Amino acid sequence: MHIEIDEISKQFGSTAALTPVSLNLPSGALVALLGPSGSGKTTLLRILGGLEYPTSGRILFDGQDATGLTVQQRRAGFVFQSYALFRHMTVFENIAYGLRARPRATRPPKAEIARRVQKLLELIQLPQIGARYPNQLSGGQRQRVALARALAIEPRMLLLDEPFGALDAKVRKELRQGLRDIHDETGLTTVFVAHDQEEAMELADLVVVMSMGRIEQIGKPADIRARPASDFVRNFITA
Amino acid sequence: MVRPLLNRSPMPGLGLSMGITVAMLSLVVLLPIGALLWQGASFGLSGMWGVINRERVWKALLLSFRLSFYAALFNLVFGVLLAWVLARYRFPGRRLLDAAVDLPFALPTAVAGIALTALYAPNGFFGAIFKDYGIRIAYTEWGIFIALVFVGLPFVARTVQPVVEELETEVEEASATLGASRLYTLYRVILPALLPAALTGFALSLARAVGEYGSVIFIAGNKPLATEIAPLLIVIQLEEFNYDGAASIGIAMLVISFAMLLVINLIQVWSRRRIGNV
Amino acid sequence: MSDATTLAAPPRPRAFRAATEESPAVRRGLILIAVAGLAILVFAPLIVVFAEALAKGAVAAVKSLQSKDALSAIRLTLLIAAISVPLNAVFGIAAAWFITKFDFRGKAFLITLIDLPFSVSPVVAGLCIVFMFGANSLAGGWLVAQGFPIVFALPGIVLATVFVTFPFVARELIPVMIEQGRAEEEAALTLGASGWRVFRTVTLPNIRWALLYGVLLCNARAMGEFGAVAVVSGKIRGQTATMPITIEMQYNEYLSVAAFSLAAVLTLLALVTLLLKTILEIRHADEIAATRRH
Repeated sequence: MHIEIDEISKQFGSTAALTPVSLNLPSGALVALLGPSGSGKTTLLRILGGLEYPTSGRILFDGQDATGLTVQQRRAGFVFQSYALFRHMTVFENIAYGLRARPRATRPPKAEIARRVQKLLELIQLPQIGARYPNQLSGGQRQRVALARALAIEPRMLLLDEPFGALDAKVRKELRQGLRDIHDETGLTTVFVAHDQEEAMELADLVVVMSMGRIEQIGKPADIRARPASDFVRNFITA
Repeated sequence: MVRPLLNRSPMPGLGLSMGITVAMLSLVVLLPIGALLWQGASFGLSGMWGVINRERVWKALLLSFRLSFYAALFNLVFGVLLAWVLARYRFPGRRLLDAAVDLPFALPTAVAGIALTALYAPNGFFGAIFKDYGIRIAYTEWGIFIALVFVGLPFVARTVQPVVEELETEVEEASATLGASRLYTLYRVILPALLPAALTGFALSLARAVGEYGSVIFIAGNKPLATEIAPLLIVIQLEEFNYDGAASIGIAMLVISFAMLLVINLIQVWSRRRIGNV
Repeated sequence: MSDATTLAAPPRPRAFRAATEESPAVRRGLILIAVAGLAILVFAPLIVVFAEALAKGAVAAVKSLQSKDALSAIRLTLLIAAISVPLNAVFGIAAAWFITKFDFRGKAFLITLIDLPFSVSPVVAGLCIVFMFGANSLAGGWLVAQGFPIVFALPGIVLATVFVTFPFVARELIPVMIEQGRAEEEAALTLGASGWRVFRTVTLPNIRWALLYGVLLCNARAMGEFGAVAVVSGKIRGQTATMPITIEMQYNEYLSVAAFSLAAVLTLLALVTLLLKTILEIRHADEIAATRRH
């Protein structure tokens, strides 16, 4: 799905988290929002997901105004930094949650839900862990379960907030490839937030460098490396 | 390796602190409870059963337990609601409301007893309203129920409130991004997270209500076989110098308290195993 | 913000609210239920106490408080609190020190035993004291023979009061002392401080607010205890009738103003307790235990 961000701004009280920003995300792209903390990247992601409402501006999904859509209507697969798995549910129940939450008319039958959950468990290469509880999983496994849970609702896009933030270096590398594979397989427009430039540069097709609520530069990783648009970008990507 | 009974420590005051702890615990709590059990034991199991297995005693025990259960159930629902409102919403007067929840802990039970009676007696402020509809509150089971709701009010609210405060909002957001309505989120995500604390509060409230005396006896009317609670029977036996009778009912109530203490601990073990912490 | 951007902002759809919020209507409804419920269950009884006390005017209320029975009840209740609250504080500090500064087997069991009085009916608690120290018991018989009766006398009331308030101070101190660990005390020891000095200069300043919090709750309960005291006191007018017991006697004798005046005094005590408790919770939230459970 093609996402268009049109002059979006966000005020929290008297502080501006986002000065009006505009951005075009082509369908099927894997986009990184890169910047230090406080740069507004998470706010932008949350506005895309419908978790925050912009102070001004519009969001367009495939050319249609989606600004007023509720979180539920957005159908954005959202992976939280803390994963936010439901601790009292098994992995299976976590992944099935979005399907079971649908109104009766559109809810798939039980067997179909089970089949889809199993397929997703295989997609994240953890086919055996359906019966476990989140606190019995490693950090990397939790991240993949959160991803599967987000994919279960057949999302229109995938939004990930610091998806590798809480993991150690070795697991990060593995999961980076995992996310790339899943992106290529589903073809979903994917936006992830990163504060680690190496991660963003290596994984994304398109990198959006942000600072203090503004977009510093948009471009392919190679272009940004070759021609940083400002001192900030130069310093940030060589840090 | 066997764990030693006591690890050596450079901390001072072992003898003194252990001495005071063990001496006071024994003198004030353990030996007196032992004395009660000893009285019962010398009376004999069959003797005790003879005391308990009478209609008046059964009715009183059952009444205490049944009304305590209803009151705890009411407090379960109202307490969760209170915890939610106090932890999540900001509105003028919230502090006052928050402090008011603790009043039943701070107000002496006898004061609560006469105040509730004055309120719900047929000539009282609320009692008169109900009287117009032909309902009597004071001196009936309703009166006992209200007194037990009062004394148990803070337990659920106070055990659930910290849990609500610590709920990760991200989990609720995750539920919403997956398409769940607020009601579905409440039912499937929030309430299950509150359940262990709510059940603990429920059990505490129940335990407190079963043993409650001061706030109930004024409003209960204390009619034998109808509105007589179990603790009152103990007092009556004592006033008749029937020590064996008092001991028998006292032990029965002690057993009920211990059973409930066990249940509370089991709830906590269960929830810890299930979700990692309480 | 300039006027231009304000005008450019699209109208905020009425439906939008954060995913973690209820709609304003639901929110208002829930607050209303909470307020109404507490008004009926808590505030109404509170008001009634004062209304009944003042039913025949303030003069009558004050006069009833100056009666011989009322004055002796107030004196006795203050005396009981003055004895049992310090006893409890000493126990609470000793128990918390023993539990948090040393490692030994059976710690969890000891904590359960300390909490035990909370789950015992006050009437049963009084009953236990009667069987331990009553004139018919071994210990009680001997003590009576020595001219030192316990039950139906001051010591029995104190024992019953200490029983029902037993865990108050200890359970406020234990979590705080666990959180603070032993490092500061160990540091003081290496600097050559004596045991008492360590306690006075290092531990006590760290636990003072938690201690005050526990003492406050303990005091409220000690002055207001009814069930346990009713069993052990014998309700002797002018001798073993505490304030709550006197309230009962006066109420049963249809001395409504007298009963409610005494009740109003205890209610004021409860309100002051709650006020101080709330202040402690706001000002010293970090230094009192996270457990606000009782």
